[in-house]
Amino acid sequence: MLEAFLTSAITMATPILLAALGELLVEESGVINIGIEGAMLAGAFVALAIAYFSGSTALGLAGAIAAGVAINAIFATLVVNLAVNQVVTGTAVSILALGLTGVFYRKLFGVTGKAFMVAPIAKIPLGPLARIPLLGPVLFDHNGLVYFTFILVPTLWYVIAHTRYGLRLRACGERPEAADALGLGVIAIRWQALIVSGALTGLAGAFLTLAYANTFVENISAGRGFVALSVVIVGRWNSWGLAAASVLFGAAMALQFGLQALGTVVPYQLFLALPYALTLVVLAGFGGQAAAPSALGEPYRRQ
Amino acid sequence: MLSSIAKPFAALALAAALISIVLAALGASPIGVFAALGEGAFGSWYACADTIVKSTPLVFTGLAVSLAFSGALWNIGADGQLTIGAIAAGAIGPHLGNFPHAIAIAIILAAGALGGAVWGGVAGWLRARRDVNEVISTIMLNFVAVQALSWVVHGPLMEPSRAYPTSSPIARAAQLEFYFAPSRINLGMILALALAAACYLLLFRTGAGFELRAMGRNRRAATFFGIRIPALTLWVMALSGALAGLGGAVQISAISHRLYEKLSPGWGFEAIAVALVARLNPLGIIPAAILFGALDNGSQAMQRTQGVSPELVQVIQGLVILIILAFDTPAWGGLRENIFGAPHDAAAVPPLAEMPDA
Amino acid sequence: MLSANAITRRFGRTLALDAVDFEALPGEIHALVGENGAGKTTLMNVLAGSLAADHGEAVLDGRSLPAGSPRAALAAGIAAVHQSPMLFERMTWEENLALGGFDTGAGALDLDAVATRARALAAKLGFEMPPAGATVEHRSVAERVRLEVLRALSFNPRVLILDEPTSVLAPSELAAFLDLLRSLRADGRIVVMITHKLAEAIAVADRITVLRRGRVVARTTPAQTSEEKLAGLMIGEIVTQPAASAPPSHPGDPVLQIENLTLDDHTGRRILDRLSFRVAAGEIVGIAGVDGNGQTELVEVLAGVRRPTSGKVTLHDGSSGAMAVIPQNRDLDGLILDMRLWENLILARPLREQVTSHGWLNASRAIDLCRQLIDRFRIRAPGPETLAGALSGGNRQRLEVARAIASRPRVIVAHNICRGLDLAATAEVHRAILDFAFAAGGGAVILISSDLDELLAICGRLLIISRGKIRETSPGERDPERLGLLMAGARD
Repeated sequence: MLEAFLTSAITMATPILLAALGELLVEESGVINIGIEGAMLAGAFVALAIAYFSGSTALGLAGAIAAGVAINAIFATLVVNLAVNQVVTGTAVSILALGLTGVFYRKLFGVTGKAFMVAPIAKIPLGPLARIPLLGPVLFDHNGLVYFTFILVPTLWYVIAHTRYGLRLRACGERPEAADALGLGVIAIRWQALIVSGALTGLAGAFLTLAYANTFVENISAGRGFVALSVVIVGRWNSWGLAAASVLFGAAMALQFGLQALGTVVPYQLFLALPYALTLVVLAGFGGQAAAPSALGEPYRRQ
Repeated sequence: MLSSIAKPFAALALAAALISIVLAALGASPIGVFAALGEGAFGSWYACADTIVKSTPLVFTGLAVSLAFSGALWNIGADGQLTIGAIAAGAIGPHLGNFPHAIAIAIILAAGALGGAVWGGVAGWLRARRDVNEVISTIMLNFVAVQALSWVVHGPLMEPSRAYPTSSPIARAAQLEFYFAPSRINLGMILALALAAACYLLLFRTGAGFELRAMGRNRRAATFFGIRIPALTLWVMALSGALAGLGGAVQISAISHRLYEKLSPGWGFEAIAVALVARLNPLGIIPAAILFGALDNGSQAMQRTQGVSPELVQVIQGLVILIILAFDTPAWGGLRENIFGAPHDAAAVPPLAEMPDA
Repeated sequence: MLSANAITRRFGRTLALDAVDFEALPGEIHALVGENGAGKTTLMNVLAGSLAADHGEAVLDGRSLPAGSPRAALAAGIAAVHQSPMLFERMTWEENLALGGFDTGAGALDLDAVATRARALAAKLGFEMPPAGATVEHRSVAERVRLEVLRALSFNPRVLILDEPTSVLAPSELAAFLDLLRSLRADGRIVVMITHKLAEAIAVADRITVLRRGRVVARTTPAQTSEEKLAGLMIGEIVTQPAASAPPSHPGDPVLQIENLTLDDHTGRRILDRLSFRVAAGEIVGIAGVDGNGQTELVEVLAGVRRPTSGKVTLHDGSSGAMAVIPQNRDLDGLILDMRLWENLILARPLREQVTSHGWLNASRAIDLCRQLIDRFRIRAPGPETLAGALSGGNRQRLEVARAIASRPRVIVAHNICRGLDLAATAEVHRAILDFAFAAGGGAVILISSDLDELLAICGRLLIISRGKIRETSPGERDPERLGLLMAGARD
């Protein structure tokens, strides 16, 4: 019971964390992308469609990366090159991706749905580690995407805090005009962050279809892109914090399924609302955006 | 640089071209699809009437969004505000059986407006007092509202037989009647029209509206001239929420008569497209809402005859917003008026020391 | 050799640089002088790649530089020091310097190595560095300038361009700084110093180029010129300042009293330190100071935008419209550029109340009022419906002054209102201010400026602000040099 719950928490946390880590890069560069949901949906749909018709999970994952990058490229063109309002653009990108995936899903798979299943991504138990009681199945018996995601946590922490590239990234989010004067290339760096984020978010979507649901339903992401946005806030723009927040929210989701099955007095909706409510509490408690990059959300345009 | 006359046409042409590409990829004929959309939305008297009905919530949420956006308050939460308004209306509605019709209607609509105002007001308060970005808070409040609705229809407000996740129907007295049955045209649209006019007057004919627009265009200058930004923020967000909540109450009172999960198909987000097409002008909200309401209404016919699923409407919404934004950006030229004013476009103005006096 | 060939750059309808030719040779300090708004900073930004020229090109040692690429300019060896330091406030000083040329490694960031290199260079220059790991937001203005100079030098530049570098340096730091420039010259580098301080240019430069309204009007050397000649070239016409001698003050009743006004910022740093002074009707009081000594915050407190930490501001006419503030940054704080002129007018609360009844706005009354003011203050604009952003700088300022005076205040607080204006516009703005103060039943004016000459010309009484403290000067004290020392923070 506990083992199943914890394993499920890690599984639920993975796509959220993957997308949140991408968003962290983007926000460090000074851009806020509230259209994560769109890239995630696109990744989820393309991964399923390609994996279903080609029979190859690898091709599906590659397709998801391409789809996430393509969605973020639309966003980047408007937001980075044309300096358009980031919030409204992000919303539009979400709506567009929701529509496109819905339309093409119906086109490819008709109106039924559940029948179009794919095999889940294979699990890779990590040898003897996977045989440790409780910890083994919870932490060391997952598919490659889960390991990849959790390895990204220290990797991104190191890159952002301790490398030249990370410093430059933060410089763009702190004061873009000064970064520009130092020849750091704000536009290029923001594009890079958005492309990497698109790839990670696309993979997060692929996780939903190829590793979790093994099929696609409309709006399968069900707000996880927005949970990723909260994870960045609750995690205080620190990849370790992001991991902790993701696991917490993942556990809330896992618990909710258990409760729904058990039919307890505690309404399961409380757990579904938890990430959002907690974000509000954290924001209200910390008094705004003190930990956020200074130039977050401000369009930057050279004269 | 595109001239201001050529631009709307270029934007329209681009939108049509992109939608046609999507349709071609779907193997559908663009002309057939647009014809089916038009036929479904305006092909008969009943279709026209239903377009009006489908547009009504969009007028409310469109007004909510345009009012907030005019003050540079990015209210992404009209959907949640509408939902809370609907919950308030759906909760009080069944208990209004003993009231006269007019009073019952007034109470149910007031409840909806109040619910929305509280939801918008929370975001306004967080922004004004705790410096919490309203974008994030309204997004979060949307999801909390969705879960709240799910909870009430499974829990406290669930209908007595407890077979379906819906609330009990509201009392007959609290229902807005259909004037032209079998069409569902009701008082809601009249109310929406009146509110659009009221919002226009508020925004362009009152001191408070001027302060709101000044805050939207240049928050720093507004602060300098003693416009009380925190108080204004709170009131605008509450008012914006009230408009959206009223839309929810009208939907309950006139159309659905009860609460159920996923009440809103995304009216609060569609409202952003509506508001941008209207260039944030409350009077423009009406035709813009009818345009998008028509798309919604026509999409069923499009699916029947052309085999294109109704999600195409969302593709169109998304593309329309993106194209308007792309064509409206100051990146195309020097300083000029755009939808959002120039709060961030100070960079377009040369630094002070470099401005010779011409 | 660094040269700029026929560089032209427009901002909207304003021609900032008009086919400017400029050259500077290795082993020289070249002063670029001109009035505010002459185009000096624009030229620097074009040379440093932060701005792309519309026409013309920058050439270093025979190779032309790609337009609008700071990276290419830095790679070619051109480094710039901006007037307000371009630092990353919430990063440590080591991180700020690592973003310059001290960090040469790839991949991992070695901040200790950066700090070591920076300290070595700083020692040579006689700079003192902040404690390890200190974030920039808590450092003083002078420290920031030193960090920015250090970061520019970290690129080991062939060309160093400095924009008004001395304006925030204390006199004690000035000599060492000028020595630094001389040592860079001795290395065979090109030093371009932008300044409006003519004495400094003559003292340190080998050659001088004078810009006026976007054109080069003279190339000369210190030996061939004098401060008077340079001033004449910069201004371009015989100075007909409105009132070279300030009209005598006939102070009336006190209208504004400030007692022990103190302001700490969110980090606890003291910005305003127990300011006390009073202003009487019919009086123009100047507050002179180098930018960044608390003036902006004082204006914000007086405007009611910021609450002081302690102290009291008393207006003897207690009504809310009794004070009108003209902030220094007219484009960001003073005007809403994409609103109409009449709408900008009613930003002022008293005027807004004038045209509002029971909450309803009477636009036609506002438009009428605007039309009257356009005539009375000779604002060059097609009409009240024009967008404020379509006006030139001078006309924007006239609009602001007109708005302040039309709201019939008892006190006007004006901050750097003539910055960037040409002489004619300056004279008109001054005339309007003088008329306001000296009219029958006139009001009081607080004129805050870093331009001592402007203050000496129209102020009856002069206060000096330095590091958040204010001091009175004796009524007869009119010696610019001594006042300049006080502005720089010297004690008696």
